[in-house]
Amino acid sequence: MSRWRSSLVVLAFAFATSTAPSSACPTSEQGFRRLASPDAEVAYRWEPAELKIGQFFAAEVVTCGTRGQEPVREITIDATMPAHGHGMNYRPAATRTAPGHYRFTGLMLHMPGTWRVTIDLHQGGKRSRLTHEVILRP
Amino acid sequence: MRLVLPGVAAALVLAGMALAASSKPPVTFSAAERAAILAQGPWPAPQRPDPSNRYSGNADAIALGRRLFFDARLSIDGRQSCATCHDPEKAFGDGKARSLGRALVDRNAIALANLRLNRWFGWAGAADSLWAQSIHPIVEQKELGLTAQLLRERMASEPALAAAYEHLFRSAVADHDAERVLVHIAKALAAFQETILTARTPFDDFRDAVERNDAQAMARYPLAAQRGLQIFVGKGNCSVCHFGPNFTSGEFEDAGVPHFAEKGRVDPGRHGGIAKLQASPFNLLGTYNDDAEGAAGVPTRHVEQLHRNWGEFRVPSLRNVALTAPYMHNGSLATLRDVVRHYSELDEERLHGHEGIRLIRPLRLTSQEKSDLVTFLETLSAGITAHE
Repeated sequence: MSRWRSSLVVLAFAFATSTAPSSACPTSEQGFRRLASPDAEVAYRWEPAELKIGQFFAAEVVTCGTRGQEPVREITIDATMPAHGHGMNYRPAATRTAPGHYRFTGLMLHMPGTWRVTIDLHQGGKRSRLTHEVILRP
Repeated sequence: MRLVLPGVAAALVLAGMALAASSKPPVTFSAAERAAILAQGPWPAPQRPDPSNRYSGNADAIALGRRLFFDARLSIDGRQSCATCHDPEKAFGDGKARSLGRALVDRNAIALANLRLNRWFGWAGAADSLWAQSIHPIVEQKELGLTAQLLRERMASEPALAAAYEHLFRSAVADHDAERVLVHIAKALAAFQETILTARTPFDDFRDAVERNDAQAMARYPLAAQRGLQIFVGKGNCSVCHFGPNFTSGEFEDAGVPHFAEKGRVDPGRHGGIAKLQASPFNLLGTYNDDAEGAAGVPTRHVEQLHRNWGEFRVPSLRNVALTAPYMHNGSLATLRDVVRHYSELDEERLHGHEGIRLIRPLRLTSQEKSDLVTFLETLSAGITAHE
């Protein structure tokens, strides 16, 4: 089980990736977006797809590619509001639904503004961090 | 049937403000400001029955709940009722800084209105449903001070109440244990309280005029209020926490108000509220939740107690705010002008420990800006409606 702290919406970011996307990686046609760092790439989508302030939602995350041989043993998510100095008020619960597939429930962003979302993939003793910013407007 | 209560003041206030409007230029709102203004409505907001309370919206439950709300038999000494601290003549508050039940309590009585829009209840969110919140004052020693057993006995001994109970809950009081009776009574009280709604305000008319781009209707909203609104959604940062049709995030913040309940004793605020919530047999993860699908219990299942919750209190709705003084969790600010001054001249040292909430900083408003912001806040009030 993984522990996510904060999360959300979709705006942004990203880094060029040096990892090759897996052929099994969900596509945008399936409602997934990609998030990548030099060491890892995931696909994710929200449920419901449109995030609203103060509404609970779930997230599906699929690991698409990682550098190195060790399997991903855990994924954690966190989100903070840089302008406010805090994260979510709720602790999501994570379920591994299939190899490389995770479902997180209990996510909620309670305030308008810019949220910084991080998804950490843990492989052996290494952590790969994916980061993006989400802007929620009232 | 609904009864329009207080709130006549709005039209008079508006008229007064119109007269006071200066010859200052009209307010021009940016696209972002217009979007923020529109997000504060529309009003009334849609409200659904509470899935955790099968009696929510039930006419018989509302009638029983209303009767019990004003019934002093819910107090141990028969001298007080829910309405003692939630007086319809005072917008369902009591006008006191800290309420006096059987003893002085630590906090201000929150004015009851629009309660179906809440996720949490009470200043610390110690309850996750209106019916669970309604249990608290009945059995709290400093408030009504009753016990579940005494409540059961009183319900059974009064023929009219016993008959109403049996009609609504399909069993005699005697057939239910004391805890079940307590929960049932709380659910009836909740059904009544859900009918307490705030009326449309001058701000709502302005907001809708903005949406229609109706300049003539917009012009009826006083310029001072428009300037105050611009501060509210702009440099004041007020709408970051007081957003949406009910003017609240529904969550908790440290607003820099001292949280000592008395010398040497701290009110833990949200931190203690979460502890009480999680320990309560009446929370939505328990057996009394009527929501079979369990969606109502999601916030309770996932809420996390954090160190920063110390000193956090509810972000209150601002609807009817001009009718519900004094302000803050301990009623320590007597007027809206005091509240605006608090945020304008905020003592950052009072923000509770940790890294600090950088969003809340002294606004350093000018005298004119403070006056305009107060004028805007006054336009958020228009009285209440309640089940007769």
